[in-house]
Amino acid sequence: MTAALDTERDRSRSRVSSLFPVVWMCHRNLTRFTRLPAILVPLIVMPVFFLVVFTSSFDGITRLDGYPTENLINWVVAFALLQGAMFSGVGTAGTVANDIENGFMDRLLVSPVRRGAIIVAPLTYTAIRALIPLTLVTVLAFAMNADVPGGILGIVLAYTGGIGGALVIGCFGLGVVLRTGDVRAMTIVQMTSFLVIFPSIGQVPIALLDGWMEQVARVNPATNLLRMTRQGYLGDVTWADTWPGLLVIACGIAVFGPWARAELIRRTR
Amino acid sequence: MTAVQSAQRAQSVSRNRPRLLVGLEQAWVLTVRSVFATVRKTDRWAPGLIFPLAMAAVYSSQFARTTGLPGFPEVDSFLQFILPATILQGIAFSASNAGTDMAADIETGFFDRLVVSPVARQSIFVGRVGGSAAAAGFQAGAHMAIFFLLGAPIESGPAGALALILISVVLSVGISGFGLAVALRTGSSEATQAMFPLFFMLVFVSSAFFPTELMKGWYQTAAENNPFSLVVNPTRQLVISGWSWGDLSAAVGYSLLIAVVSLGLAYGAYVQRLKRS
Repeated sequence: MTAALDTERDRSRSRVSSLFPVVWMCHRNLTRFTRLPAILVPLIVMPVFFLVVFTSSFDGITRLDGYPTENLINWVVAFALLQGAMFSGVGTAGTVANDIENGFMDRLLVSPVRRGAIIVAPLTYTAIRALIPLTLVTVLAFAMNADVPGGILGIVLAYTGGIGGALVIGCFGLGVVLRTGDVRAMTIVQMTSFLVIFPSIGQVPIALLDGWMEQVARVNPATNLLRMTRQGYLGDVTWADTWPGLLVIACGIAVFGPWARAELIRRTR
Repeated sequence: MTAVQSAQRAQSVSRNRPRLLVGLEQAWVLTVRSVFATVRKTDRWAPGLIFPLAMAAVYSSQFARTTGLPGFPEVDSFLQFILPATILQGIAFSASNAGTDMAADIETGFFDRLVVSPVARQSIFVGRVGGSAAAAGFQAGAHMAIFFLLGAPIESGPAGALALILISVVLSVGISGFGLAVALRTGSSEATQAMFPLFFMLVFVSSAFFPTELMKGWYQTAAENNPFSLVVNPTRQLVISGWSWGDLSAAVGYSLLIAVVSLGLAYGAYVQRLKRS
């Protein structure tokens, strides 16, 4: 009886001891916002810039036959949401790269903190951080007369798509910086996120794409993520547009999450 | 011959030659140093060459059908339309290197060593700008060659290609000037690098990627009056319509105007830093 109680108490302590470092590391990263407000600039400026520029610069494309909406912002908002959220993932990788360079990661690795917590903490921070551009872009889109025929569910799915995209890029970024241990590897993460999201249906639907781009957009996972994120801004929410996006998020985390953990363990050795 | 004798001889040779010639030689040596520094580091030249090409590849496929819209200029393809934008983006990348390199020279102390050496003050400045201009010229040539191979020719022919290189060089001097001004004022490569997104945004809020005729509202007004639009529009005419002295002089003239303003700011910051040094 006593032994069973002790085991249960140990398990409970273990759960707490895994959760505490996650909360603590998240808090540590979030305080950087107040200490270094400059890191908020790309999070705020870039998504707003993309939303305004893409909507205003390419307004003429809605005159093409077959373009799904007359209000370009309904199409572009998902693109801006995902880009803003992906910047959060990239930024998180940068934070970890700095921790490696300034020796904080080494101190974490010799402390009695679970390896999983060292991976989960920056990803939790990524999800929280992604809320900033997601909320900003959503509010700005409404201010610029975006419609949401999909209602609350449409907005929830837009947030889900954004946070999911940020987590996938965050996992990938963690893998890259843990592998290289170099803050300059951030360029790889940044360029990859650009290269994934641009050849997709970010600005133009597949039916209006030409040549190689049409083929790439069809197989690009970002296309499904964009469809899920966008659907509430174009019409009713459907399961057919939702599950491929959820699958992309699940597969992305399932592939890059364990890779990041494996790189962390390799670094420990 | 001892080192002292060599130095004395070099000094007497230097004394017997016109100062302007010596200054130009020193500027040339520093320009070559700057070019080699760019060539040696892939991360210096690759983004400016590759990223604009990637953007052009994506946009030419995404917006291929927009060339038939009323108000769109008559072009062979969207790729031909976007050539000046690609060159402009490349220039923004390479020109930002001039400021970053100058800031790095200040941070590492190389700038101070140059200042105490018998190098003409103007040569240090001209060397940096020259390096950036040379890189922009090469890059513009490479972009035009790749576009030509992909089926987007320059309607004004080889003379037009040379004109585009000239415009690129002058505009690069103009954009470098802003980076140099920040670098010399702050002495921080981080602050200088922060200038790049500003240029990136300015390129987008212009006629570089889409005709202003198809924009509307305040954005159209902003794009039409953007200094980059004033350079891009005549440059594009050389690409899509054919040779025109008027277009060439407009593009070079506006680029020179940008260069005069930015170099004025940079030179003012340079003089201030020399006083502090």
